[in-house]
Amino acid sequence: MTQSTTMRMATASHPARRPALVNWLQAQPWLNYLMLALGALLMVFPFLWMLSTSFKPRSEIMIFPPTLLPKSFALENYWNAFDQIHLARLYWNTLYVTVLKTGLMIYTGALLGYAFGKFHFWGQTPIFYFILFTMIVPFEVYMIPLYQMMVFAQLGNTHTALVLPHIFSAYAIFLFRQFMFTIPNDLIDAARIDSAGEWYIFHRLILPLCGPVLATTVSFYFMWNWNDFLWPLIVITTSAKAMLPVALAGFVAEHGTDYGLVMAGATMAVIPVLVVFLLLQRYVVQGIALTGLK
Amino acid sequence: MSTTTISSIQRKAQTGRIGFLGSRRAWPQRRMTLTIVVPALLYYLLFRYYPVVRTLFLSTTDATLIAPDYQFIGLGNFLKIFSDRDFTQIIWNTTYYAFATTILTTVLALLVAFLFEPVRRGVGLLRLLYYLPTVTSTIAIAAIWLWFYQPRFGLFNQLLSLVSIPPPGWLRSPDWAMPGLIIMAIWGGVGFSALIFIAGLQGIPQDYIEAAKIDGATAVQVTRFIKLPLLSRVILFVVVTGIIGSFQVFQQVYLMTRGGPLGTTQVLALEIYQQAFQHLKIGMAASLSFILFVIVSLLTVVQLRLQRNDWEL
Repeated sequence: MTQSTTMRMATASHPARRPALVNWLQAQPWLNYLMLALGALLMVFPFLWMLSTSFKPRSEIMIFPPTLLPKSFALENYWNAFDQIHLARLYWNTLYVTVLKTGLMIYTGALLGYAFGKFHFWGQTPIFYFILFTMIVPFEVYMIPLYQMMVFAQLGNTHTALVLPHIFSAYAIFLFRQFMFTIPNDLIDAARIDSAGEWYIFHRLILPLCGPVLATTVSFYFMWNWNDFLWPLIVITTSAKAMLPVALAGFVAEHGTDYGLVMAGATMAVIPVLVVFLLLQRYVVQGIALTGLK
Repeated sequence: MSTTTISSIQRKAQTGRIGFLGSRRAWPQRRMTLTIVVPALLYYLLFRYYPVVRTLFLSTTDATLIAPDYQFIGLGNFLKIFSDRDFTQIIWNTTYYAFATTILTTVLALLVAFLFEPVRRGVGLLRLLYYLPTVTSTIAIAAIWLWFYQPRFGLFNQLLSLVSIPPPGWLRSPDWAMPGLIIMAIWGGVGFSALIFIAGLQGIPQDYIEAAKIDGATAVQVTRFIKLPLLSRVILFVVVTGIIGSFQVFQQVYLMTRGGPLGTTQVLALEIYQQAFQHLKIGMAASLSFILFVIVSLLTVVQLRLQRNDWEL
């Protein structure tokens, strides 16, 4: 806060010497607000449209010019959507696979990040690069043999097959390793002198210190895993085990023109990620600023 | 880079011996290292390296997903791919999509970032709104945009008919399907790139800008000669990672057009998926994915070159 105030004061105390139209425009923050607000409206409009449509009765959806807010507020689209797709089951499937994957990736990421960042062992750097290298390999390059492996292990159409290829994440390892450098070694040594076990140190000292990077990675991995599409599309074949995005894609393809229904489904798909994002948005923004990760 | 816990020399001095097992005092650390790193190593061998090598092998065969036996055909798949006009089309589509999306997104995102710069109040909320498309499931976005693009009842064409511009068929027209996908991708990507640029702009020391202003630089000059050059690394990073990412585009195309109409939006990742899991030709799909791998690797080399100094590992 103080920094921004000083910055503003600094800019104000040195007005540009040559007043040009551009300079005048720059001195008008309301213009920035206006343009940013217009842009923000463009960003949000599709979502408002989705939300508004999902509450419109069928008769109102096709009217032109469209109504911004539903004239008669109807829940029929949601009831129909509940009837057509087993939303509770989809939510449950997606949620538990997402939580499991996210939890595993972040725990192993922290653990390996700690080992690579703070320990010294034979082959440390080559092993780290060996793992990091996999980051650049597109999923399409290994998905076919991976699928064959899953089928071979009798894991076709199981949630295990969804989780198994995503226990470790090279990117999470990388991020945690970078963060470990900021933790002073004296702290760890002090714990060792107090005869704390290595695992105790990791769980009780290191992990709690990882707060910011944990929040960032949790929010990102939750979003990625929730929205994961291609692998579930390949692996899961029955609707009982389906993941929400894939099931919804089928739903959209099937009821493409029943827009109210489709928008109700889309709204339901968006809500969980949105909740996580809103809760952790501070860390998401920090994470982007720090690492440029998506 | 921070200091090391105990350097090997110090350790030697403390314990009098080092070796593969190290000193007795280091045993708990070693045990933990072994229990962590060895499983990870095995995991990466089994779930990443083995499949990649296997894909390489499959690319030289005519394997299918169902029949157990296959024949070694050498470069047969690649010869077939490179002599196929559809494939040239696919590569062109993918490149066009990747470059158009990334460059337009970057330009717009820079604009947004510069607009954000002097703004202090309400930044949080605005940033949130710009970031919204990035966190939303692609399927929800696709569902909304499919409707926007609908030729008769879609919002875009309804609006265009108001100003009596002949409405294009959007995703159903060979000329407009790809631009349609690109517009949607730009809408979805601007907020994310802008956020990186905003962070980059905040990292520019205020002294430089002050100094330039004292020397009488106008706002345009400050932007042109100070901010943009200092941002150039960030811009390059966003452009190259953006191109790498959009070269692998799958979901948007799968959901919006499935490569149609007339193959005008067919992209590499979609072709790989369709070859493998619809035509069941995994040999062919493996060859295609190997080509994708080569393209992405080359781009990654460019990226690492550009940001070499950032990689102080």
